Order: sequence, then C-alpha cells, then structure tokens
Amino acid sequence: MIRGPGVSRRTFNAGLLAGTAAATLPLPAFAQKRGGDVVMAQSSPPPTIDAQTSSAAASRNISLHVHETLFARDEAANPVPDLAEGVDMAADGLSYRFTLRSGVNFHNGKVMTSADVKASLERYAQVGMSKIFMLPVAAIEAPDSKTVVVKMKNVFPGFIENLSSPRAPCAIMPEEECAKPAGQGGRIGTGPFTMGEFRSDSHIMLHRFDKYSQNMNYKERDGFAGKKTAHFDSVRIRFMPEGGARTAGLQTGELHVIEALDAPVAKRLESDRNIRSYTMMPWAYQTLIMNTAWGQTQNLSFRRAIQAALDLEEIMAISTSGLYRMQPSWQHPGTAHYPGVAGLEKFLKQDQAQARALLRDAGYKGEEFAMMADNTNRPHIDTATVVSEQLRAVGVNVKLSVTDWPTIFTARTKPEGWCMWPLLMGIEPYEGPYGVVGFFAGASPAMMKQDPVIEEAQAKLTTSLKLEDRVAAVKMFQDRMYDQALSLKVGDSGWIQATRANVMNFAPYRIPRMWDVWFA
Amino acid sequence: MLRLIVVRLLAAVPVLFVVSLVSFGLTLLVPGDIAAEMAGQMASREEVDQLRAQLGLNRPPLERMVAWYGGVLQGDLGRSILLNQSVGSAILERLPVTLSLAGIALLVAALVGVPLGLLAAAKAHKWQDQAAMGTALVGLSLPDFWLGLLLIWVLAVKMQWLPSGGWVPFSDDPIGWLRSIAMPAGVLALNQMGPLARMTRSAALEVSNSDFIRTARAKGLAEPRVFARHVLAAAAVPILTVAGISFGIALGGALVIEQVFSLPGVGRLVIGAVLRRDWPVIQGGLLLTAFVFVAVNLIVDLLYLWVDPRLREQR
Repeated sequence: MIRGPGVSRRTFNAGLLAGTAAATLPLPAFAQKRGGDVVMAQSSPPPTIDAQTSSAAASRNISLHVHETLFARDEAANPVPDLAEGVDMAADGLSYRFTLRSGVNFHNGKVMTSADVKASLERYAQVGMSKIFMLPVAAIEAPDSKTVVVKMKNVFPGFIENLSSPRAPCAIMPEEECAKPAGQGGRIGTGPFTMGEFRSDSHIMLHRFDKYSQNMNYKERDGFAGKKTAHFDSVRIRFMPEGGARTAGLQTGELHVIEALDAPVAKRLESDRNIRSYTMMPWAYQTLIMNTAWGQTQNLSFRRAIQAALDLEEIMAISTSGLYRMQPSWQHPGTAHYPGVAGLEKFLKQDQAQARALLRDAGYKGEEFAMMADNTNRPHIDTATVVSEQLRAVGVNVKLSVTDWPTIFTARTKPEGWCMWPLLMGIEPYEGPYGVVGFFAGASPAMMKQDPVIEEAQAKLTTSLKLEDRVAAVKMFQDRMYDQALSLKVGDSGWIQATRANVMNFAPYRIPRMWDVWFA
Repeated sequence: MLRLIVVRLLAAVPVLFVVSLVSFGLTLLVPGDIAAEMAGQMASREEVDQLRAQLGLNRPPLERMVAWYGGVLQGDLGRSILLNQSVGSAILERLPVTLSLAGIALLVAALVGVPLGLLAAAKAHKWQDQAAMGTALVGLSLPDFWLGLLLIWVLAVKMQWLPSGGWVPFSDDPIGWLRSIAMPAGVLALNQMGPLARMTRSAALEVSNSDFIRTARAKGLAEPRVFARHVLAAAAVPILTVAGISFGIALGGALVIEQVFSLPGVGRLVIGAVLRRDWPVIQGGLLLTAFVFVAVNLIVDLLYLWVDPRLREQR
C-alpha cells in the first residue's frame, strides 16, 4: 500500500530538486496572514483551461491551483497520494485499488465520490494529453463510493508515475463535467482555488475556495501534494508577453510573483531589496535531436563527428546565460531511475581533429546540413546558433532555418528535410524515465527511425516490476544514445522564479505555487 | 451623401473578398497548425494527427473555405479553436481597447502635430522650423517597441507615475483607464505626430503663398489668425488624408504596443492567433482590419466634403 507521510509510504522517485528543500521550511505559524490579492505574471496565456487536455506550462500554472489528482508529486518529485488515501497494487501488477479521501469538496459544492474519479479517469483516457499511459488500462471500476479499482491489460509499472504527473494532469472533476468534450471542461476541481474570470489575452482570476478539503495526512505543503492552505483571497494571473514589462511590473510592485526571470536580469536585481529571486537547478536539459532516417545524420560516423565537434559547455554557457551545470545522464542524479554516468566520459570531450577524421570516414563532401530551430524559446535558438558555428569550425556546411514553433513542429514530424534540432526537455525528466525513453521509442520515435536497442530498453522499462531492472533499462537506453549518437544531451539548465520581498514562504517549484504563501 | 456611403460600402465588398481570399490562401501556405501548439512539444505525430482530426483540421481546404464563407455571409466569422468562443465576440470584446488606443493616439498626434506643422510653416527656414521638424523626425524615427520599453523604465519603474502595463476598462475606473492608456497612446502618438506635422507644414507653406492668403494679410489680419482661419482650412484636405493613413498605421502599430504594454486588444488577439495558427481568428481579424481601413477612408472622404465646400458643389 502506498500511503501518505506517517503511514507506510513507498517512494517511486527520490531526491530531485533537493536544492529547494531549504526553501520549503515552514515559517512559524503565527507569521501566517490570511487575505490579500496576489498578482502573478506569466509570459503566455494558456492554450486551454481544460487541465486534462493541455501539457503547456501556461495551463499548468493555472490548473494545478484549481485541480488535484489521485496521486501527485512531492517536493522531490516522488509520486505521493493526494486525493487518494493510498493505493494497493496487486502482486502481479495487474490491478490498482485506490482508496479515496473522505469529504473532499468540489468547487460546485458536491462531495467527491468514486463515480467522479472513475468518470475523470475515463475522460482522460479519451481526451487527456498524455492518455497514452491509459492504454494498458482494461477497466475502471467503482465498487463503493470510496474505492476505485483500475485493472490493467498488462503490467505497466509506470502507471502511478504517469497518473501523478503534472505535465497534463489527470485532474479529478465532477462526473457531470466529464461529459464535456476536450477543451471545454476544467472549470470545477477540488483545489484550494476556484476559477474566476478568464480573459485569454489579459488575465485569469482564481479565488480562495473556503470549503477546500485539506489533506490532513500531511503537516505542510509538499510539491503538488501535501496540506495546502490558501491564504490569499485571490490570485490574479496576468499574461504578459514582454519580459521587460514583467520585470518592470515586479520592480514597481504591480506584480508580486513572476514565473520566470532571465539570469542576467536576476543578477541586475540582486541589489533590489524589494525583490527575491529563487533558482532551481536542474529545471530542464538541453538536447539535440538527430534525424537518423534522412540526410547526413543517417550515417553513424557523421553523427559521431557532430558529437566530437561540439563543446557542450560553451553551448550551455551561452544558451543559458550561465545558469547551467554539466551533467551527462538522461536522468537527474538522485532520482530513482538515475543510471549513473559510468562509461560516458569518452563522449563528452570536444575533439575537432577527431571530428574532421570522422567526417572524412563518413564521406562528407560539404553537402548542406539542415538544422532548424524555433524562435519561440530563446535557449533553442541560442543553442542552434552556437552549434552551427562549432560545426562550421570543423567544416560542416550548416544551413540553419529559424521559424516559429508550429512550423518546426510540422517539419520535425516529417521524416525528411531536416538533420538536427534543439529541444529543451523540462517536465519529462522531472517526471522520470518514461517520457524521456518513450520519446525516442515506439512507432514514431523522435529520431525518426526505430532503434532496436532503444525499443528493447523501452520494453524492459515499461514491463519490469523490479526497480533495479528498470534502472538497467534506462542505462541501456542511455548507453545506446551516446554510443550511436542517436541524439545528444548537452547539459542541465536552471530556472529562476521571483517574488516581491513581502511574499512570504514562497518556494520555487515547477509552477509558482500560491498556496501556503502570504503577504508580510 | 447617402449615395456616396452606399457606393463606397458596395465598393468595399470586393476588397474584403480579396482580403479574405488572401488570408485563406495564407492559411494553406503557412506550415503548422494549432494542433501542434495544443499537443505540446513532446507529442508524437499520431497524437497531433488525432487532435487535428478532433478539431476538424484535416477537412479538405475547399470544404473549409465554403463553410467559412457560408458563415461570413450569415454574419458568423467562425469559432476560435483556442478561445472556444465565436470570433465575432472575441474581436468585439477587444475592439474598444484597440480603437481607443489608436483613436487617442491620433487625437494627441493631431493636437500636437498640426500646430507644430503650422508653427514650422509660419517660421519657415528659421530655428523654430528646424526645431519643430527635428522633433517630428525624432518621433517618426524612434521604434515604438524601444520607446515603449524606455518609457516603462522611466515613468513606471523609476518615477512610478504610471503603471507598467495592463488595462483598466473605462467603465471600471475612468482615472485608472486614463493611466493605463496614457503611455501606450503616447508612444503611438509620437510616431504618428511626425507625418502629420510634416504634411501640415508642407500643405500650409503651399497655401500660404496663395493670392487669397496675401489678400488676408493685406487686409491687416494678424499672422496667427491668418494661419488658424485661412491657411489651416485650405490645407485641411491633405492633412485629413494623412490623418486617415495615420489611423491605419496606428492600428498596425497597436499590434506591437499591445504586446509591450500587455493590453488585451485586437492586435494581441491576432498575434496570438498567428503564433498558434488559430485560423478562424486570423481570418476574422484580417477581415475586420480591412473593414476598419475601408471605414476610415470613407469617413475621411466624408470629412473632405465637410471641410471643402467646393467638393460638395462638385457632387
């Protein structure tokens, strides 16, 4: 049985974001103050407020204040119970029996029952953005009002990790809301805030839910789970595309919290006593996705030439404005599936002479090397620019195309016309290994051509009940990625959230959480 | 006059048709669609294809085009995929922001630019002329996004006189509305003031050498009165022409200004729709923009008749 703290809690993942732990220490209870209207800014509006149907960070920032899930991630990204008291997994791994918390209120006044949970899970299987993890589900049953049983077609040890992921949250909503089509649900949840006025290019209002049912199995806030207390009367989330305007708003006090601050700006504001910035490391990692089905990158020697030609640290230093660390593993250190970095040293050192020799081996004659990047995400375009110059230095004729995100997306899902593109992976490594390995496996792998060893690693990862077997599968994946240069991991990047100094008890996390935070 | 309005509105129909045709063509030419945005960067091609099918984006272009024109003929501009709202209502909600921004900008530009142009003409080739035209040139040359950010830093961060961005509806708080619109409208006005001042100077100089102006001076009228009453009236037609064009440019400039100052106007709606490929909003937004241009030209034509009696007689 997996239960909350204080009971027999089994962790799935451990140690991620350990750097934030100090920031989560609770202040003395007498310091907490109720009331006030906090204003937060994020760069873009949510593509939808239907929590289940979007994996956009802009949606998560909002929906995770309004919605909760059966299991959620704790401060260190481990799956822990949230709306569930716990779960019993059958010994054969073919069923999960969830016991629900009692007396949990929805924003419409209704009390949550197993019928609501069943309907929510079934809706997710239909319209959820990460519904692929529901494919192994054979049936969902509600034997009584406090119990939900999920029966599996086959063993899938990543089920709880996926169910607890905040990426596109498997939000629990009232049964009647679940009949709504994709994009049209999502206003009613069980979270500490209710959804108010939404103007898609201006702001959304969240209001404190006074009948919120706190999870008393915990003593305090813990990641997306824990005992949450909403202190603010309201949270106004403004959508402000211009970074300079967001910073100005924080400086003037019009904004109290901003979801992201560039490293150079954070450094400039260090002396401002009215502003506090909070750094998270790691937040994401930068990758270079290769196309092994088309162009020069079909050739192993050519891919290895790229691997040898690149100075990874220079790429990270420039693309993150110094907010990075060099860490070669495809999993974050300290997490349950971290496979270590043994044997990777030889792939990490730049060697231009070797790169030129490998280019000769590949029979490269100066043909155009098609690289693409989107201008939506600055680390992408900066990475592509530095990589282009480093490859040109060893004689690769790089043609860099920069377009917007939808264009890149369309291009990168086609098997021809491109050789490489940079992608910052953030939420996936936070989730664990399933999203990362799965991205390079299956019917449409990111590198466009299935690799038998990656497929084997994926199969072992998704069917092995023993953790050590799954770690071995991740190691198999990682070794193959480096050995065949199927795609490259460049390095880890950080993230900075910032608040006014009068916002107390703030702790940075995947979203700026507005519960357990109050004004001085 | 009614005949003029009807004729001009009828003439606008083919213009709007061509605009809609071009915008529809662009939707077919530009790669990518909204399904990619909604699915997220790690989504597989199958996931995106499935979403595309759910949203009806895999229908043949001709079928989509016929359905869209059918709706437009019934006054329905379609439904935004992202906003889950009719395009017409999404635009109408935001139109007051954009129109008030462009309108106030043009008003301020006219109130400053026209007297500046008249001053330059009255003091032609003297230092006042140089100073006035230099000011106009500076206003014309400064990039509005840069000026916007600079003013945010000075007036919001340093002086704390005005908010750094955001929008307060007039109905909620008239003072708050004025404060929220002052900086963005000021930036746009500075850009529009230049062409107005230069055209006013040029037209006023041309008119000031006319016989009737010499007659007015010979009658002993004071120079300010000559300029205010006679020169300005005679130069009004070209000034109105530039003002009409300026309003159109101000609407275009509002796209950038709304981004910088986080104003929820039509410009921001359309930019967001372009970046996310929300085609119904792009088409509706372009159609509306074209219609506003046609309407502004019509209003300018009507104003010609009002300021120049000769044109009324010709009709």
